[in-house]
Amino acid sequence: MTEAAIVTQRLTRRFGNLTAVDSVDLTVGAGQFFGFLGPNGAGKSTTIKMLTGLLAPSSGRAQLLGLDFAEHPVEVKRQIGVVPEGMGLFERLTGAEYLQFVGRMYGLDRPTTQRRSEELLDFMQLSDRPKTLIADYSHGMQKKLALAAAVIHGPRILFLDEPFEGVDALAAGALKALLGRMTERGVTIFLTSHVLEIVERLCSHVAIIHKGRLVAQGSLEELRAGIAGEEGSKTTLEQIFLSIVGQDGAQQPQLEELSWLM
Amino acid sequence: MADVARVPGVWEQIRLVAGLRWRILRNGLRKKNNQWDLIGMIFAGVFASLFVLGLCLAFYFGAYTFLSGGHEAWIAFLFWGIFLFWQLVPIFTAGFGAGFEFRTLLRFPLSLRAFYLIGLAYGLSDFAAVASSCWLIAMIIGASVANPSVLPSMLLISALFLLMNITLERMIGSWLERILARRRSREIFFAIFILLAVSLQFLNPLLQRYGRAAQPWARQLLPYLSVFPPSLAGQAIAGAAQNHFTDTLIGVAGISAYALLFSVFLWMRFATQYRGEELSETAAPARTVVRPVSQTAEHSDALRLLSPQVAAVLRKEFRYLTRNSFAFFLLIMPPVFVLLFTTQFAGRHPTATRHPVSTELFFPGMMAYLLLILMAPAYNSFAYDGKGIQTFFTSPVSFREVFLGKNLLQAGMLAFELSLSMAAFSYLVGLPSLPVLLATLAAIVFNVTGQLAIANWSSLSFPRKLNFGQMRGQRQSGMAVLVSFGTQILLGCISAPILFMSRWTGDKWLPAEVFAFLAAAAIAGYSSSLDPLAVLAEKKKETLIEALSR
Repeated sequence: MTEAAIVTQRLTRRFGNLTAVDSVDLTVGAGQFFGFLGPNGAGKSTTIKMLTGLLAPSSGRAQLLGLDFAEHPVEVKRQIGVVPEGMGLFERLTGAEYLQFVGRMYGLDRPTTQRRSEELLDFMQLSDRPKTLIADYSHGMQKKLALAAAVIHGPRILFLDEPFEGVDALAAGALKALLGRMTERGVTIFLTSHVLEIVERLCSHVAIIHKGRLVAQGSLEELRAGIAGEEGSKTTLEQIFLSIVGQDGAQQPQLEELSWLM
Repeated sequence: MADVARVPGVWEQIRLVAGLRWRILRNGLRKKNNQWDLIGMIFAGVFASLFVLGLCLAFYFGAYTFLSGGHEAWIAFLFWGIFLFWQLVPIFTAGFGAGFEFRTLLRFPLSLRAFYLIGLAYGLSDFAAVASSCWLIAMIIGASVANPSVLPSMLLISALFLLMNITLERMIGSWLERILARRRSREIFFAIFILLAVSLQFLNPLLQRYGRAAQPWARQLLPYLSVFPPSLAGQAIAGAAQNHFTDTLIGVAGISAYALLFSVFLWMRFATQYRGEELSETAAPARTVVRPVSQTAEHSDALRLLSPQVAAVLRKEFRYLTRNSFAFFLLIMPPVFVLLFTTQFAGRHPTATRHPVSTELFFPGMMAYLLLILMAPAYNSFAYDGKGIQTFFTSPVSFREVFLGKNLLQAGMLAFELSLSMAAFSYLVGLPSLPVLLATLAAIVFNVTGQLAIANWSSLSFPRKLNFGQMRGQRQSGMAVLVSFGTQILLGCISAPILFMSRWTGDKWLPAEVFAFLAAAAIAGYSSSLDPLAVLAEKKKETLIEALSR
């Protein structure tokens, strides 16, 4: 096992009587492209929020790059980049202004911030509208800008919540190549997505959360090996996901009830 | 073939839309935060009913008096009242924001005719339409009691007048919807509205000064009003009462022509919507062009004395201020108020008082009033950040820096506004004596720093999201308003006796000295409040993000 970039110990978050994340013990190695999966309402976004400082855990600990988040929040935040749920953009700035704002908030000097902003806007194909406010961007453009802001300071861990949602195929291809290069350079990428094909193609390691509990964790090969039967090595991530999450049966929608549609 | 057994009729569709609106209202009130809104709505409903019923009596007696007293043509004034209310109130209550758009119903299998009729029916559910219809009924009853022979004419004219008003109101509404769909036009519209509101402040002084001279000019305009629908309605009723049926016919024909004309325009407008109309403001797909030289290059850093984070927040706040038409136009208010109040209460010839108020009293009072207006936004300083608040929490900064950046802009804006107002004050009535001037300046520093510390706490504790360029639903949190008023009253209660100390003790410089000491203490207090506030921000982050990311 490589050096751990993210380690959580009994990480728990409760909202009143509801336990959204329940004693999650997660380990993500440095430089891994890590997929974090789960059905709707499983606790993915809550976990990411706790790992990025947007939500305080009810109990348990989270360590990033060897630093305890609760004890060293500023030092940890310097090392990570985040595309939060809803993207968290200041919509009354232009794309360039927002990137310059974020760069300066991370303490980059002005020339570096300026140069990186321009390069990122070029890469994301957002540079031809220097005066357009983010409020007037399409959803896909906002997503690309949020991604650019998340990497402007060269983070060592990148948290991406549904990064390709709404992004066109051309930009998505370039982004995937960029993220692949980043992992080669040792950056850890923690990604959630409902598109299992993307996760399967990009991620080397996966964890599955269901009803707030971590139900599977490991490399894709390890998860495949866990599936019974001779066909285990050919099992897709979707089949693995369904076999783990759908074990309780109650989650599977009953198609027979919609017979009038078929 | 889809399993559609039958296409629902127009009336059934209208009933479904009415049911939809009712459920949207009811479900909205089930939210915990909206319980107070329900109580507010009950109060508003009671007051609105009293208002409508009270005016029903007025319209009844008005119509009765005009027709029984031989002043039949004067009934046009009542029609004018209804017409103006019906057309203007929906424009102001539209709130310059997007509400429930009945256009969204177009996804369902509606014919253009059904869409048009539902649109008209939708117009009838407005408060202005309901109230105006009640007043029309009151007029019909009043006129018929006074002169039973006008009942058929009143019924016909009122029906045509009602149809004309609904059609016109819907036509204006649908055009407004088209125009206000775009953020930029919404903000321009909003700015014009603010300017009009400011201009109205000058109406009374202008009328007092030029009212008599304008009367003959206004009288010359009156005959031209006779071609408008309310005058035509009045003419038709007067004709019926006096057996001048030509006048009645002209009136009926005129209102019918207006109704027809507006119907054609409304049909065309609805037909455009029916065919499919793009109102979104999302940018079109990117064109591949050579990237221009960056427009945002900043070669000199005027803020180099500040930390990068504080400077970044300050820059962002300045950009937000200049792009927020509401906040930006509020900045026009202080010098305008100085102009308005000095002409009314100070100078050689005040319009509102017989003798001018002493500058020694008027100047500190005026500055206190301006502080009251200018400090209000600080009590909900994250209001316009929206989802961007998450960036503050994911960035490696303490909220100390965030508050410093926000407060520095607030203080800079205050300094600019107060300097401008003082310059205007000095030009119009002259400045007070040096001891009073310095005491006022020190009092401003004391008040502003003291308020900023409390306002920062209020911003964290009672956040409420506000949207740019919108009026509807743009309310501050009730607690933030209470804290704001409480703080201003407290600081006012401390400041006022100190200002009067010189009168009691005979020492002109004493208030300035006391305020200088208080200002120093307030600056120290403000400075020491920033770290505890940063800790509080961490504790409150979930509430903040939840409230602002909605």
